[in-house]
Amino acid sequence: MNEIQIAILTLGSIGLVFSVLLAFLSKKLKVQEDPRVEKIVNILPGTNCGACGFSGCKVFAAAVAKECNLFSGCLPGGAEVNNSIAQTLGIAVNTETSRRVVVCRCGAELDAKIISLLYQGPQTCLAADITGGAIDCVYGCIGFGDCLEVCPVGALSLRERKIYVDIDKCIGCGHCVKKCPRDLFELVPRNSSFGIYYVACRNNDNAVLVKRVCARGCIGCGICVRVPNSPYYLKDKLSSLDYSKATQKAPLEEARVKCPTKCIFIA
Amino acid sequence: MKDLVLIFISTLLINNLVLSYFLGICPFLGVSGKIESAFGMGMAVTFVMTLATSIGWLIYNLILVRFDLLFLEYVVFILVIAALVQIVEMFIRKYSSALYQSLGIYLPLITTNCAILGVALFMVTRNYKFLEAVVFGFSGGLGFSLVLLIMAGIRQDLEFADIPRVFKGAPLTLITAGLLALIFMGFSGLVSS
Repeated sequence: MNEIQIAILTLGSIGLVFSVLLAFLSKKLKVQEDPRVEKIVNILPGTNCGACGFSGCKVFAAAVAKECNLFSGCLPGGAEVNNSIAQTLGIAVNTETSRRVVVCRCGAELDAKIISLLYQGPQTCLAADITGGAIDCVYGCIGFGDCLEVCPVGALSLRERKIYVDIDKCIGCGHCVKKCPRDLFELVPRNSSFGIYYVACRNNDNAVLVKRVCARGCIGCGICVRVPNSPYYLKDKLSSLDYSKATQKAPLEEARVKCPTKCIFIA
Repeated sequence: MKDLVLIFISTLLINNLVLSYFLGICPFLGVSGKIESAFGMGMAVTFVMTLATSIGWLIYNLILVRFDLLFLEYVVFILVIAALVQIVEMFIRKYSSALYQSLGIYLPLITTNCAILGVALFMVTRNYKFLEAVVFGFSGGLGFSLVLLIMAGIRQDLEFADIPRVFKGAPLTLITAGLLALIFMGFSGLVSS
């Protein structure tokens, strides 16, 4: 055998060993994936531009396959791409229902927030958050309006250190979600038939601790969860809304009325 | 034993792959934004590097040297590294999808991380024995992780600093990297032979 044959044989057999190993491992470590995810990935342009609010096409595909109502359209893809994605998901493209808006999950007014320390540092949420946040609640809105700067459409406004979202202006781009140091913004499906309900609190401590820092916080009593057909769920003493189940107005409204601290809001 | 410790210390600090050989700069700048992803990246690279040097050493010395095929070293090392990265990617995807997403494109890019190929080639040129090669790969990976974590820590704190606008983002990151390299030069007196 000459040198070339030996070289080919050696490299070939090393490659073969690795490919057998990889084939074996890929069977063994296979991640169960929704088959629609791959279909959607193939439809998408694959530019990973992030205009949809997700970090890339693949993440977007995984998210919409999991929850159809998150589908807010692919900007660079245009109508053709969006129609075929909607077909894959089995939903109709409707700009009104498929759009998302943002809600601020802290609804406490200035007089509801308990403030025991006077904060005199830079007037930005990012800075205030390091020192504990200029309000006693470590989950709540600091209210210096860092999010106002990043909103491209001016849908956010700040009055008395509380954030208000104009949902008619909001395009659901998610820039504020990334900016808020306390992760208070949540992207929720826009619902035209009745208002957008949300729990305006992120405090998942128990009732005593919540009451110590805020008058409007969710105390985790679970009354909203016990309403018949309730789309609310409790996690770590904090109520949240499962938007895939929030299709009827009655239980949403009933829970809102019954909430003892009145921290369920309609946007 | 003393040799191994010397190799370990010198690869970890004195001849750090990133800060004195300037290898693996792409993930060093790309994944050093957050400490969590920096740690994940560091561990993935350490794993790949250790295994790449051990498997690479075995293939090089047992197959390539025997059949006089030294010209294949680059191809073989890249093959080994690519296969290992593929395995690591499958593992991370299976067991930590959060880490998988935060590493993003940088995870498959470990394949082209020159630090790993660099370690494999240094191992050959320096005529390391098997155990030395393994320690060399492992400490190279740890050194990479260390620098990545330091950088991530600094960059996280810099988020809050009041920086002149011209320096924001990439310029300051590069200056920080340069200063870090200068600092690491201070280690060069650590071991006197």
